[in-house]
Amino acid sequence: MVAGLELFTLPQQLVNGLLLGSIYALIALGYTMVYGVLKLINFAHGEVFMLGAYAALFASWALGYGPGGHAGQSSILNLAIMLLASMSFCALVGVVIERFAYRPLRNQPRIASLITAIGLSLLLQYGGQIFLLNGVPQSISGNVNPFPGQVSISLRGADKVALAKAEELKPAMIQTQADLEAQLKNEKSRFDLSPKGEALEKKAQEAKRSYDNLIDVANAKTVGINIGYGKIIMFVAVLGLMGILTYLVMFTKRGRAMRAVSHDFSASALMGINVDSIITFTFILGSSLAGAGAMMLATFQSGTKIDPFFGMAYGVKAFVAAVLGGIGNIPGAVLGGLLMGVAENLVDWAGFSNYRDAIAFVILIVVLLFRPGGLLGSAKVEKV
Amino acid sequence: MSFAALAAISIGLAGCGNKTDESTTSSPGASGSTKSGGAKSRPEPTAPTVTASGDTIKIGIVASMTGDNKPWGEDSYEGAKLAVEEFNAAGGLNGKKVELLLEDSGSKQDQAKTAAEKLMSEGVIGIVGEVSSGNTIQIAKSAFEKNIPVVAVGATRTDLTDVGANVFRVCYTDDFQGPVMAKFAYEKLGLRKMAVMTDNNLPYSQGLSASFKTMFTKLGGEIVAEGFYESGGKQASEYSGKLTEIKAKNPDGMFLSGYFTEVGPIAQQARAADLNVPLLGGDGWDSDAILTSGGKAILGNFFCNHYNNADNRPQVADFLKKWTSSHGGSEPNTTMGALGYDAAALTLDALKRATGADSKALTAAIADTEGFKGVSGDITLKGKNGNPPKRAIIVEVTEKGPKGWQKFAKDYTPDQLGM
Repeated sequence: MVAGLELFTLPQQLVNGLLLGSIYALIALGYTMVYGVLKLINFAHGEVFMLGAYAALFASWALGYGPGGHAGQSSILNLAIMLLASMSFCALVGVVIERFAYRPLRNQPRIASLITAIGLSLLLQYGGQIFLLNGVPQSISGNVNPFPGQVSISLRGADKVALAKAEELKPAMIQTQADLEAQLKNEKSRFDLSPKGEALEKKAQEAKRSYDNLIDVANAKTVGINIGYGKIIMFVAVLGLMGILTYLVMFTKRGRAMRAVSHDFSASALMGINVDSIITFTFILGSSLAGAGAMMLATFQSGTKIDPFFGMAYGVKAFVAAVLGGIGNIPGAVLGGLLMGVAENLVDWAGFSNYRDAIAFVILIVVLLFRPGGLLGSAKVEKV
Repeated sequence: MSFAALAAISIGLAGCGNKTDESTTSSPGASGSTKSGGAKSRPEPTAPTVTASGDTIKIGIVASMTGDNKPWGEDSYEGAKLAVEEFNAAGGLNGKKVELLLEDSGSKQDQAKTAAEKLMSEGVIGIVGEVSSGNTIQIAKSAFEKNIPVVAVGATRTDLTDVGANVFRVCYTDDFQGPVMAKFAYEKLGLRKMAVMTDNNLPYSQGLSASFKTMFTKLGGEIVAEGFYESGGKQASEYSGKLTEIKAKNPDGMFLSGYFTEVGPIAQQARAADLNVPLLGGDGWDSDAILTSGGKAILGNFFCNHYNNADNRPQVADFLKKWTSSHGGSEPNTTMGALGYDAAALTLDALKRATGADSKALTAAIADTEGFKGVSGDITLKGKNGNPPKRAIIVEVTEKGPKGWQKFAKDYTPDQLGM
């Protein structure tokens, strides 16, 4: 069945897409920066993201939001601690991976590093099955989010006439409900009623249905957007982190060195740049961004399932996003991530939620066919 | 053209069905009183029987001791262990002890197959497990080739027992569970427009959604929206896009046929998408982990379960006493403890009645089980093609208290649904 396209959910889906895409963008930045400097696809990046989620989870447990913990109202401070824990742990993991897995192979054929990256990714996934709480899925408690509410923006309100009609039915609904409540006190259970209770229940249900139906009619053409406060914090933080990254890469000495290394590896070494330290710096940046993304997703996308394979789905999508934007190109990664998030939600919007995950690869194939260098990248002809 | 071909095939099938009916009417077992326990015959395993050798009789259990279904797998193993200990303490089989061999399936289908094969190479004459349908199908297929009986713990997928005459279960099927929830939603909650979300990675979820939809529309309700997702690491747990579309269809309730690992996040994201309707589900919800992953959003919703710790059956009180004394005073967290116990106890009960300590005699004895007093209810397998007719209990999710987190709401027997 092809569902009719309902224009009035489109704004909400675009917002959903941008929010999800901002996380893809954060992860994609890690792929693209490492590729830019080392010409290596760091397939273990998704697993760094996964470990970041675990770091945030353990930090939340340490703050008293563990299973069985009854910590009270959370605060921005708690979120900052979790963010810091996750980012610094991921940075550490990134440095260790680079130092012990990639550096010894740096002067070997590039394929050796690539296979190592895949091996490392599998090692972290299946190692996690054993060492990370036996691989049992976990999730961060919803109580960590200090702002559980949401903003509702109404772009087109409800049909006033229909709404007024519905309001006329409201007293009857409340009355039947009250009758039923009164009767329930004399009943054994809500689901095991006497004939009298059953009749009252039927009346209450019918009144509620006719009220609800009119409300649905009234709301049929409304257009609105719901965004959780948490998601807004997430989006702002992502923008902030991207701002910091731009500053670091474009306006600092280290950033200039990084760009030089990415431009020409050996020439920059000849110019006195410490290539090793720049590569380490790149891994620190990329990995801590993945950590930030993981922490914010696991905290603000309530109930997100964290397990050792958590990084797989996000890692693949973000990799496609990086290729889409042009791998090695920083603004390209952000653009690619946002496009990817929006594209996925548009698939849902079109009523093909079965095919949601296929869109990433359809986009990848199309991009590789028509613009092999990506949207913002340029295809370079390699000298043979 | 294709229609003609289809018609020809269906006529052919009908013919087959009639033939089987005729051939089985003479057998006393084919009473056909339940829908799932009808008169169709299942393929008989042809491999030679496996006889118990050595000092002990070996029974195997495949359980999800790691991975997504760990809460269930562990409970099913603990339950089975309890039954075996009890059997041995009571003298075993004429003084011969039963040894329970455990293999982990890692909650994965391919690993479940390897686990079953390993157990069979170690000489087990019967296998208990698994908690999930996808894993059990693999075990059942492997065991069919070796002529070993399988008693599934919590696998509810209806066509599972069609694999062969060596496959049994101690739980109800999705053909019963789905309609129970549909009836409850329609009659007790007064819902008329349901949305359904299905996990395409789980044969269980697909079967359950289908049986729910059929019954709900038959009762007069309407399925207004459907969403699909895939568990198992292939997909990010991001459902806001699907939920936005479902909300636009204004359902007055939502049926989530997947497992607790995904149902929790979906519940929370549904509330975040302003979809504040009652949520319903099957026994896949049954783990207290859903309270963390579902937060406040999961409270007050209903799912279908096999038994309840607060049941007043004497077997339940007895079981809980044994369980708590060996688990530091805590009750089983999931229903799989009781079902694991039932599956193992039923196998051992059959072993006592079997004509010999070999797999073929054991299969025959299990198939002959009548009125076995299980913790989760009376179990009759005779003439039911491996699917015992059982009671389903609908519970409400509440905050964790001294009496657990599942509040009894209503129960249904197969007769009440005309099955």
